[in-house]
Amino acid sequence: MIVAENVEKRFGETLVLKRVNLRVEPGEVVTILGASGSGKSTLIRCINGLETLSGGKITVDGHDVSTKAGLVAARRASATVFQLFNLYPHMTALRNITLAPIEVLKLPKAEAEARARALLDKVGLAAHADAYPQQLSGGQRQRVGICRALAMQPRYLLLDEVTSALDPEMTGDVLRILAELAADGTTMVFVTHEIEFARHISSRIVFLEQGELIVDLPTAQFFAEDGGLAVPRIRQFLSKMKKD
Amino acid sequence: MRFWRVIEPYIGFLLQGFALTIAACLLAIAGAVLLGALTASMRSSGNKLVRGIANAYGDVFRNVPFLVQLFFFFYGLPELGIYIGAFETGVIAMSIAGGAFVSDVILSGILTIDAGVIDAAKVSGLSRVKIFTRIVLPIAMRVSVRPMGSVLINLVLTSSILSTITVNELTGAAKIVAATTFKPFEVYAVLLVLYASLTTLLSFAISAIHHRLNRFMTGG
Repeated sequence: MIVAENVEKRFGETLVLKRVNLRVEPGEVVTILGASGSGKSTLIRCINGLETLSGGKITVDGHDVSTKAGLVAARRASATVFQLFNLYPHMTALRNITLAPIEVLKLPKAEAEARARALLDKVGLAAHADAYPQQLSGGQRQRVGICRALAMQPRYLLLDEVTSALDPEMTGDVLRILAELAADGTTMVFVTHEIEFARHISSRIVFLEQGELIVDLPTAQFFAEDGGLAVPRIRQFLSKMKKD
Repeated sequence: MRFWRVIEPYIGFLLQGFALTIAACLLAIAGAVLLGALTASMRSSGNKLVRGIANAYGDVFRNVPFLVQLFFFFYGLPELGIYIGAFETGVIAMSIAGGAFVSDVILSGILTIDAGVIDAAKVSGLSRVKIFTRIVLPIAMRVSVRPMGSVLINLVLTSSILSTITVNELTGAAKIVAATTFKPFEVYAVLLVLYASLTTLLSFAISAIHHRLNRFMTGG
């Protein structure tokens, strides 16, 4: 379980996260919605320890990410897919995927490669195992990014606006893969602007507004007239997103 | 041919000097690159003290003439009770001076790396050492290898200064031959060819390494 308690994050004078509380149980798909700059990505970066907390506490399966040993254990339990893919530019798709399993999980090379090839096959990139990131399209790169995350066999998959840098067609490819993962019971924390997709795969939706988590509801209730839509800010946000 | 008549008796001696130059350069290049990579990693460290030590080393050895550094080691080490040969002293001095410049070049390569790539490596659980050796250094190298080539070629040229501490490498040997024959022009003409072929070879090697490291950047 991922637990965030009264999490605060400050960049200089600006308070980016204000006493945020969030729980993600195994098997859940929790989508974080909110406008740009509302703190969604920062929250993800606090969970995987890329940002240090200014206040509060985050634990992943009981491991406190603000301690050194806790962070190591927390990172073993989770994996992150990034908006701009962040692939290692000097390694092939296959090496991008096998690096951490070999170095961190200490898997034998042959086994790590066999698993990486199986993952690439699953996302339709079997033929591109030996391509470098520069030789792949954005959508292909992001699918490699997802394979790289899955190769660590994480209990939690953290997805930080993974389709924001992709065109609609590539977005479709990536979302199809995520839907399959959700159907397989993968636990996900999903930061996105793809509202319809979020509605389709999420068990819960939380809404961040200027660093405050103002709503945390099961998906059906979030989109109900007497649920999330009763909150003026959310109604406004959703109607604007639909126009786009 | 008059030129060859002058050089011929000494060609073996000059080639011995050339071999010594090549040996000193190869060792010093290895030393400078290792020391430069280590120093660059220290200069990009989050720890202030580590960064300070590395910066101080770089500043001192980039800003003092090599001749002075060389004499400092050659005459200074025995004062400290350390007795090593002139050749070894020369290689060490070249490695230290070269390392200061190499660290500059590698550091500038490190600074071009996309922070997101490092983030990805961190969250995957890789240790700091692994992140540096498997991600940071290889990516920095593909940017750094060309400017590093100029530094290393300079290091080869600098090796001629070892003649001032009794090392009879190519320049040292040439001084002796020129003094014996009173034919400095012929002797230094040979030197010109030998140094130029050595640095040209090095620059081809650097180009080859550059292309090898950047092979994944083509066809994108």
